Amino acid sequence: MTRPLSSMRLLALALVIATFAAACGSSDTPEPLEGVAADIYSGDCSELDGRQVTIYSGRSENLMDPVLSAFECETGIETAVRYDSATNLALTLAEEGDRTSADVFLSNSPGPIGFLDQRNLLGEIEPDVLALVDDQNRSGDGRWVGFSGRKRVAVYNIDSVSVDELPESVFELTDQEWRDRVAIPGTNGSFLDWFTVFRAQEGDAVATQWLNDMVANGAKFYANNRSIVDAVGRGEIDLGLVNHYYNYQEAAAIGEDHRALNHDLAGDDIGSLLIITAATVVENADNSAEAHELIRYLLSEPVQRYYTEETFEYPLAAGVQPADILPPLNASGTATIDFDSLGGGLEASLEIIEASGIANQ
Amino acid sequence: MTAPSAQTITTPTVRTRRGTRAPLALRGVGIVLAVAFAFPGLYVVWRNISTGADPIGMLGTSRTLAPLGRTLQLAVLVSAASAAIGTALAWLTTRTDVPLRRLWRMLLPIPLVFPTFIGAAAFIRTLNPGGLANDLLDGIGIERTFELRGLFGAWLVLTLFTYPYVYLPVAARLQRLAGSLEESARVLGDTAGQTFRRIVLPQITSAILAGTLLVFLYTISDFGAVQLMRYDTLTRAINTNYLARPSVAFALSLLLLVLAVAVVIGERAVTRSTPQAGSARSTRVVQYRLGAWRWPAAALVVLVASLAVGAPLVAMLDWAGDGIIRATRDGRPLTVDADKVFEAARHTLESSVLAALAAVAAVLPIALLVGRYRSRSGSFSHAIVIGSFALPGILIALALRFWTLRSGFAGELFADSKALLIFAYVVRFGSLAMGITLVAVQSVPDRFHDVGATLGAGRLRRFRTIDLPLMTPGLLAAVGLVLLSTMKELPISLLIAPIGYQTLTTRIFSSFEESFVAEAGIMAVVLVAMSGVLSWLLVLRRAEHR
Repeated sequence: MTRPLSSMRLLALALVIATFAAACGSSDTPEPLEGVAADIYSGDCSELDGRQVTIYSGRSENLMDPVLSAFECETGIETAVRYDSATNLALTLAEEGDRTSADVFLSNSPGPIGFLDQRNLLGEIEPDVLALVDDQNRSGDGRWVGFSGRKRVAVYNIDSVSVDELPESVFELTDQEWRDRVAIPGTNGSFLDWFTVFRAQEGDAVATQWLNDMVANGAKFYANNRSIVDAVGRGEIDLGLVNHYYNYQEAAAIGEDHRALNHDLAGDDIGSLLIITAATVVENADNSAEAHELIRYLLSEPVQRYYTEETFEYPLAAGVQPADILPPLNASGTATIDFDSLGGGLEASLEIIEASGIANQ
Repeated sequence: MTAPSAQTITTPTVRTRRGTRAPLALRGVGIVLAVAFAFPGLYVVWRNISTGADPIGMLGTSRTLAPLGRTLQLAVLVSAASAAIGTALAWLTTRTDVPLRRLWRMLLPIPLVFPTFIGAAAFIRTLNPGGLANDLLDGIGIERTFELRGLFGAWLVLTLFTYPYVYLPVAARLQRLAGSLEESARVLGDTAGQTFRRIVLPQITSAILAGTLLVFLYTISDFGAVQLMRYDTLTRAINTNYLARPSVAFALSLLLLVLAVAVVIGERAVTRSTPQAGSARSTRVVQYRLGAWRWPAAALVVLVASLAVGAPLVAMLDWAGDGIIRATRDGRPLTVDADKVFEAARHTLESSVLAALAAVAAVLPIALLVGRYRSRSGSFSHAIVIGSFALPGILIALALRFWTLRSGFAGELFADSKALLIFAYVVRFGSLAMGITLVAVQSVPDRFHDVGATLGAGRLRRFRTIDLPLMTPGLLAAVGLVLLSTMKELPISLLIAPIGYQTLTTRIFSSFEESFVAEAGIMAVVLVAMSGVLSWLLVLRRAEHR
């Protein structure tokens, strides 16, 4: 009977290893900042003073961690973060209601914010924090404030698209010339948001017609921005409508094997919309003061500079200029999102997108 | 391991204790477990009521029927392919002289550990136009424009991800089948094929069915693969509707659940009507010489392993390697360091081992109720446990948030604790352990119990000395299935884990979705390496003892 016994022993061993591993967890002693976080704050760290703030972040750890480390070091406020997609976090907040432990919710697209706002789950942000950004980058009723921007662009494959055939407007993409060559992130959140603004600005008839024409012209559905940038970089498809941000990340990781570049459509074209990533304070947050301090920190000069220099986004505050690598925003025509019109607008957008049949292209 | 310690016993059917009622305590435990497993389903029902959803009305619309039809089509095709591939691989690697058996037995369960969002993307990266395989073929002058997408793409990727659901239980069963009947058949002149069909297949049918059911349910609940392969199924419709039209999302989820329960009940009916071939443990398993078929068989195993494990791994290694090289050459510094990876790996190991053991412990009472006593309440619990596998993980996470925040004291106690995380994993993956555990329970012949009872052994002692040793291979396979699946679990790990408790999979997700592909690649390689070691410990080490 040695065999069954040894299997049991094996299981016991695994359990012991797991428990041991759990017991010897690393402790968080405050250390001087290193790496990217040190670019944001290079002074001596304050002791954590017992104040804390809980964050639900739709922006990933890679983008948030250096900022939050610097924040903890500089202010002594401890941060606790749950990371997930903004959509899933918004759904969770809706389930948790006023019993949530979250103080701050960060979203990288407007839809989830509209969803929460509709359910009265967002608190008012104090005027002095709102005032850190321009009117167009914050909500009229003070429920959200933008802290970085991602611009809609056309990403194209440099081997199969020549520079002189690049379009000026998304409306050109319904031409025969672009038949079967364009990728659309169909039901992805940021596309849904963009399409909702498209409807608000150009009217339902024009927007619906454009999408139906795109489908008729053989536009292809892709899961999300990242998969489009990947496909364009490999040459699987020629051009895609995405946020500008992803191509920089992909190129930074893969280098010249990645055969794609961003192309800016005309400044006044809907295809050049700036989509804002925004911060909100949860209604009845336990740590409202700390929440405001965090948001103020996100809008400070070092963090704004970090977001544009290191993660290639458009800064929205503190007079910080976009990184040299980014094409300048066209001041005259750049449309920013009126989030407040988005909440109820998503449903109608989804109806139109579903009816167009893009999801099965 | 020399002299056989138990006689080889095979009977065409094994009597179950139909007349015997299950002990009261066991029935009580069964009911409690059923309630625990039912809460995501109850949540979906409650949300249908609270959002005023109209699932029945929606069923009539083409907007529902078209994705539902595609879901069914895909699930049937994937199930059929996985059943065939999983069974063939199990037989080849446990019963034949196919070369490098031990290597394949370590590699073949690994696809279970690929999170679909990065696994499917890795397939695309390797196999699609401009991908790594393409570069290779280009080098030798072959121009290729094949593109993995739609029904075919989703079918291929999901089959390669899910065949282990069949492979593992069937391999566990094959290792325990008594050789006497097979030997007799061979002596009487049956070919290997005839022996397989007449003697082996009937004895492994219940294991194949149980595994195939899981494949079916996994396929209808999958979102990552169908999304990336651009095949529009019910889960995609659910996902796009959460924010904009919650009532639609919950109505569609309910349809998914009803479909799952119907399929589970159907499977039970089929399994009940097939005679349960039981056998005691055998120390001698018949090994077949494949002769001229040895190399074609080897080719099949190599093909599956290189597609299922090799293709995604190549892309992950490529992402990781490029990123590391670039970072050392003054490129962008990596955003993960060894500490973070180590911490995440530790969390992954600890939570998945605990979840796997807890899951098997949780389904064992139900398996005993169903397998030994044919208890009605046991069948009910069984259907609930397995049916929940069709619910997307996000719904289980939301359901847990919903219930814990409304259960007062208990909610306070467990909110944000590891115990809650493990519980959620058990609910999500208990179904995986259920089928194999049931087959294991049924493989213990009643007459052993009768003998034990006659000799005066109490119930617990009989369980420890008779059942447990005989069920061990099955239970270990169950542990392995849950373990590897938990390691890749995403939605629950993100939403239910204590704040700040990151696993490898959650870190891979964070990195990958924001196009930090190098970081995602590095951690995915670590995840696969870990699963290889665990798979070796659970599957291969046992084989060496044989």
